[in-house]
Amino acid sequence: MYDTSRRVENAVTPNDIKIQARNVQVYYGDKQALKDVDVDIQDKTVTAFIGPSGCGKSTFLRCINRMNDTIPIARVEGEILLDGEDVYDRRVDPVQLRAKVGMVFQKPNPFPKSIYDNVAYGPRIHGLARNRAELDGIVERALRGAALWNEVKDRLAEPGTGLSGGQQQRLCIARAVATSPEVLLMDEPCSALDPIATAQIEELIEELRTTFSVVIVTHSMQQAARVSQKTAFFHLGNLVEYGDTDDIFTKPRDSRTEAYISGRIG
Amino acid sequence: MPLSWALFASLLLATAGFLVGRSRAFAVAGADSRVLHSRPTYHGYSVALTALLPALAILAIGTILRLMDMVPDAAVPVVGILALLAAVAGLGWGVTRIGRGFQARNAVERMVLGLLMLCSLIAIVTTVGIVLSLVFETGRFFQVYDWKTFFFGTEWTPRFQGNSELGIVPLLWGTMYISLIALLVAVPIGLFAAIYMSEYATPRIRSLAKPAIEVLAGIPTIVYGLFALITVGPMLRDYFAEPLGLGSSGSSVLTAGLVMGIMLIPFVSSLSDDIINAVPQSLRDGALGLGSTPSETVRQVVLPAALPGIVGAILLAASRAIGETMIVVLGAGAAAQMSLNPLEAMTTITVKIVSQLTGDSDFNSPETLVAFALGLTLFVITLGLNIVALYIVRKYREQYE
Repeated sequence: MYDTSRRVENAVTPNDIKIQARNVQVYYGDKQALKDVDVDIQDKTVTAFIGPSGCGKSTFLRCINRMNDTIPIARVEGEILLDGEDVYDRRVDPVQLRAKVGMVFQKPNPFPKSIYDNVAYGPRIHGLARNRAELDGIVERALRGAALWNEVKDRLAEPGTGLSGGQQQRLCIARAVATSPEVLLMDEPCSALDPIATAQIEELIEELRTTFSVVIVTHSMQQAARVSQKTAFFHLGNLVEYGDTDDIFTKPRDSRTEAYISGRIG
Repeated sequence: MPLSWALFASLLLATAGFLVGRSRAFAVAGADSRVLHSRPTYHGYSVALTALLPALAILAIGTILRLMDMVPDAAVPVVGILALLAAVAGLGWGVTRIGRGFQARNAVERMVLGLLMLCSLIAIVTTVGIVLSLVFETGRFFQVYDWKTFFFGTEWTPRFQGNSELGIVPLLWGTMYISLIALLVAVPIGLFAAIYMSEYATPRIRSLAKPAIEVLAGIPTIVYGLFALITVGPMLRDYFAEPLGLGSSGSSVLTAGLVMGIMLIPFVSSLSDDIINAVPQSLRDGALGLGSTPSETVRQVVLPAALPGIVGAILLAASRAIGETMIVVLGAGAAAQMSLNPLEAMTTITVKIVSQLTGDSDFNSPETLVAFALGLTLFVITLGLNIVALYIVRKYREQYE
């Protein structure tokens, strides 16, 4: 399913726009957390959000699948279009939206269920499999997609919480992949992991890009440079600069971006 | 003459000791108090405690011996004088200890530690004492009454002329039946209320509704009993029992069970609320992020994660239901019988303990002694439930900490 020859092809062909954000403002109570964010996120591309803590990058990520709805004091203005449809439109059900826009969190959060049931959770609630054999197929593909199959294929019935941190995070990725989303949001997916597990996840992101659009928030500029094609730099609630990763890291246009990547702020 | 004058004098001596100790420590230190190991206040406390503690010990021992009739009344002033002498001696000794190198702070900390340990010891010793007294009286009961008849007998007809049938089975049946109804009421309502509070309610509603539910927990059980007696009981009799031909008793198992269930709602809901809140937010985010609805999140992720804790909460509620007395006395009556009909009067172990011990009773007859055997049985049942519940709750806590 993940043909490596296609990856090279993807890197050169221009991609369609998957997510279009226009004039997005986010408020937590009276405090404005994001100001006038405009960004176009391409399909089948890894887009990295970087910036110092509290700059609004995670907030923006959580706007894309409306996870901010779960915070009572959060308020979002402006529009975010997914394939041309505003996700904040009244007719959009956040539950359906989140099935299309998967999310992987900072801390691995496997459910207190077996490995199999963790991965099968999404397909079950969305009715993606008609019978057990189909579900088995989905679970296997998702676990292979998350490069975890070989490590867990003999113990699918064991609890997901018993895996190591890196394995748990890959299980969470498999869980998100199993619902076949179109976009995968990752909120600092490696911040709780050791370097080896981080390298595995980064390799995985590279493969996932062939199927989805991946948006990753990261604190590590090296990670952004390694995994992404596009980078957005956030600072104090503003989207300061957005462009090709290579350009951002070699010839930033804004002085704040330059200050951040050279370690003078943040 | 009571010993309170000696206690009062010792307290005065201790206060004086504090002042003397502190000022002496200042004097020893001279201009720079940093040459002392401990700050002068600690020297003061150290003197006060060395004066007070021996006196208190003598007074306590004297009082206990007097209660056990080992000290004649005439010797009471001697105890008081001994205590005072000990206080004076302790004060003197404490003052001589003051010096630059004396570690007064450590000494005070040790004495405070001892005091704290003594207090926990008192709690434990009291529990052991209660259990032992139950065990001894139960032993006397089984000397005069056959244990097989007690545990397996299905008749409960105490007669004060003797020759009573004292089988625990009908009482156990009533206890279990009433507790079961109470749990059937309290567990769903309490649990659903907790789910609403922790998962759906806005902070504003939560801040209003949670205290309102907890008001229920503050009502004395006798008031619940009155509610059962004058409202619920007659209502059930007039609208259910009599029209359905199931009996004509105002007091019934159902009455006591319903009211007891209401009493337990805040207990179940506040325990479950704490447990549900302890489920990490990251699990909820994970489920919502996969496109679950809030109710799917609760059913498939939050509740399974909280389940062991909720089971623990239910078992704790059960042990309270089993030990409840007043609601049963007023709601279910005092007739010891076994029946499946929930609209009939039945009774519980606790009620019978009360009725066996009230009124004129001879503390050597099996009719009275049976109360202790009942109490011990009840204690063993609730202890077992509590141990299981605490074990489950603790195991659950470890999972997420």
